[in-house]
Amino acid sequence: MNVAHVATVARKEIADNLRDRRSLLSAFSIAVLMPALFIGMLLFIINQAVGGAASRVEAHVVGAANAPALIDWLRSNSVELTEVELDDPRAAVRDGDLKLVLVIPDDFAAGFNAGQGHVQLIHDSSKLGDSARHHAQLSAYLNAYGRMIGRLRLQLRGVDPRIVDAIDTYSIDTATPAARALGVLATFPYLLALVIFMGGFYLAVDTTAGERDHGQLEPLLSLPVERRDLVLGKLLAVATFSVLALAAFLLTFAIALPFVPLHRIGMNLTLGPAKALGVLITCIPLSLLAAGMLMVVASFAKSFKEAQTYLSFVIFIPTLPLIVTSLMGTDPSLVTMFVPSLSQALLTSELLSGAATPALWIVVSVVTTLCVALLFFALAVRLYRSERLLV
Amino acid sequence: MIEASGLRRTFGKVVAVDDVSFRAEDGRVTALLGPNGAGKSTTLRILYTMIDPTGGSARVNGIDTVADPLGVRRVLGVLPHNAGIYQRLTARENVRYFGRLNDLTDDQIDERIEGLADLLDMRSFLDRRAKGFSQGQRLKTALARALIHEPANIVLDEPTNGLDVMATRALREIISNLAHAGKCVLFSSHIMQEVASLCDDIVIIAAGRVRAAGSADEIRAQTGEPDLEDAFVRAVERAAETDAENTAGQAGSNATTDTRGDA
Repeated sequence: MNVAHVATVARKEIADNLRDRRSLLSAFSIAVLMPALFIGMLLFIINQAVGGAASRVEAHVVGAANAPALIDWLRSNSVELTEVELDDPRAAVRDGDLKLVLVIPDDFAAGFNAGQGHVQLIHDSSKLGDSARHHAQLSAYLNAYGRMIGRLRLQLRGVDPRIVDAIDTYSIDTATPAARALGVLATFPYLLALVIFMGGFYLAVDTTAGERDHGQLEPLLSLPVERRDLVLGKLLAVATFSVLALAAFLLTFAIALPFVPLHRIGMNLTLGPAKALGVLITCIPLSLLAAGMLMVVASFAKSFKEAQTYLSFVIFIPTLPLIVTSLMGTDPSLVTMFVPSLSQALLTSELLSGAATPALWIVVSVVTTLCVALLFFALAVRLYRSERLLV
Repeated sequence: MIEASGLRRTFGKVVAVDDVSFRAEDGRVTALLGPNGAGKSTTLRILYTMIDPTGGSARVNGIDTVADPLGVRRVLGVLPHNAGIYQRLTARENVRYFGRLNDLTDDQIDERIEGLADLLDMRSFLDRRAKGFSQGQRLKTALARALIHEPANIVLDEPTNGLDVMATRALREIISNLAHAGKCVLFSSHIMQEVASLCDDIVIIAAGRVRAAGSADEIRAQTGEPDLEDAFVRAVERAAETDAENTAGQAGSNATTDTRGDA
């Protein structure tokens, strides 16, 4: 192996692509945007949970004066009622002006006193967002009020009110905000794999199929350079971009994470320099594998466009083991360390949660991933040695 | 010196090169002349070790192209058909990249770039990025790149394609200068005039075979035509006739599929 040749090729490809806005955008936009999205989701969940937004109910009410006792009771249960005058409350909800309207008709008091009062609750179940929860909760409050009055009336008549409640149900939702936040955090390994593959995506196409499309390959191949050295130089350039994208991702994440008040939902998650470096090093073999895989597919394609099409499927391959195991609920073990991408995902999770990982796991993960990377490298060299590349 | 003996190359059932033998001497300009799809590019590609021959052999400075391709590449400067340069690098960086891959030191490269910039008149665009270069500027950059290791042999595949009159003239002068400097220059073309005015030796190829070879005068004598263009047309027509008799006429027309690979 001629190290000088390898270094020359790698350096040229990196310098060349650092000048290309498309390369940079493709490699780093996801790396920087993903953490932002991620942090945004966490903030949303925490605000909902801690800011009391989850228990507040908002509604508009028409004819509040017809049932002052009911309105007072609802308000005392922290239902925020806004009084409005509307001729056609249905239209207001249908048109999306209002989300939830409680209509208390003029004859409510008469009906209520005679035995049963009627109210209308108008909502649009096709609307996304909070309105379904507001509706369910307000309707539960109304039922509770009705039941309360009914029981009082039974009691006044000397009947045990429990007679009307053959079954009394309590719903208990155990989905704590922390659990929901954990659900978001569980997507972290997917993002990691995606960032690693996206980081090398454009370079892999540009240095192989792109070079050939532009007639730059044949002059290069006419030089006294071993094909193996050419391929290795290109592969290292692709892997470098992949690692840089990963570093950008981790950096953005590490900077943004302290702004998320995770402690408010009883969670403790930090990404300090040591942990970030650990994740980066754990994932370097995967970057090499990604570079090899992307290059083989891109070299195999007949043109730049074909390569791009193939690769947009290839970048989802590393997430497959993650999806399968997350469905099966696999815990980290020695066996899982033999699966590239999965092993990095599990090791990363362990690292983030601060658990101690056996050194053997790390060794197995590194060695198996590097072996697969080597296999792709050998395949790429084979492709570069064949005339098929040119003819 | 470049020698081809009995070269043959097939792509599946298509015979791109049937039987090509010739010799390009040092200090002379040799042209492979032939119509589109005659097998010129395939022949040159065998010579600069891009593809292996199906039959026959080729040697550059006595080095066999199949046995020691790296050895051949060291003594060969190549300008493939429609050679592309890296758009985001400057002309100088393009040349430097090839210099380094030819194991030259940075000092050697800088020194030679100075010389090549004068020889090829590249000063005005040497440190500009190649994106937006004219066809002529691109060609000069690609040529400088091919010459950076001062090869004794130079192979150019249809170098004048797409050049305007001025650029073509400049290139012709460069080619003659290289031959005067003792280099063996081999280039392919389908343009009669440029070959006649520039070449010491002409090898006419049609349908994968050499149909006539020698100096312009010798070819006129061989074909019995006083005009070189007529001689060329006669040679090509005769090739078509004999091939039709041998039912190998297929090769000529089918060989056009090969030109796709040339691009």
